[in-house]
Amino acid sequence: MQTDEQYDDLTTLFAAQDDVLQSDAFVESVMTGVNRRARWRVPFLFGAAGFGLGASLSQIGGLLDAVAARTPRIDVSVDTLQSAQLSFQASSIWIVGAVAVLASCVAVLVTERA
Amino acid sequence: MEKSDLNLARDAVAGQAAAFETLVRRYQGTIRGLTRRLATRPVDADDLAQAAFMTAWRRLKSYRGGSFKAWLCTIAYREFLQARRRQKPEVTFEESAHVIAFDLSASRMADHLDLDRALKQLPENQRICVVLCVAAGLSHSEAARATGFPLGTVKSHVGRGVASLRQYLDAQGAA
Repeated sequence: MQTDEQYDDLTTLFAAQDDVLQSDAFVESVMTGVNRRARWRVPFLFGAAGFGLGASLSQIGGLLDAVAARTPRIDVSVDTLQSAQLSFQASSIWIVGAVAVLASCVAVLVTERA
Repeated sequence: MEKSDLNLARDAVAGQAAAFETLVRRYQGTIRGLTRRLATRPVDADDLAQAAFMTAWRRLKSYRGGSFKAWLCTIAYREFLQARRRQKPEVTFEESAHVIAFDLSASRMADHLDLDRALKQLPENQRICVVLCVAAGLSHSEAARATGFPLGTVKSHVGRGVASLRQYLDAQGAA
């Protein structure tokens, strides 16, 4: 079976090649990209997301009323004890909207972490 | 005392670009060497290396310790695979475009060209395993994780590749 120690001589030859590949210009080109990305990426992403969210909210108000009137209402009742009753009512369009916004936020977060 | 890779990576994640610059300086030789040995067109090698460092910067949060070099080499190898998928099949190796620093003596440059030629004549999967394990210094397990090859296959490729390299270099030395 091959072990790591058996090719140290070749590794040394390759390492000698790599040693001469030190370049300030290369480091500078990488760091230029890094700095540009670091400076603009997050403000741009969250700025665009905030703008989109604001624009959507400002436009959706009138539309929601019209759509809400045409959509069925969800009525969830939970009876645990005879004496205690929890009721929840909401227009399903709000639930769909909230889920969509949440899914968008999760997608942005996952993309950022990838 | 030099900061460890993990500490530098943590500093970089915290927003210190200078910490990442130190990592780039520390590993530029390894990564540029790796991409030069893997790339079909050596002129693309530095673009691949740069793309690898940019990807590393973006994904630095996912580095949780262990060998930073292996983590970085895995990223560079994947950049190579992506570039190869995009590449047109008729592209050929241009040896004249292989940039070597000017301070090399003629004899050392000849050694380097011999090594490059020796690597070039290996089958691709052997070359990949030799480049990762022998040239970049990854362990067989790290190379197996990076490439997705079974561990036994990596060991076999490295063994055969090293034997072929030695045979080629010996023949060149004897000639």
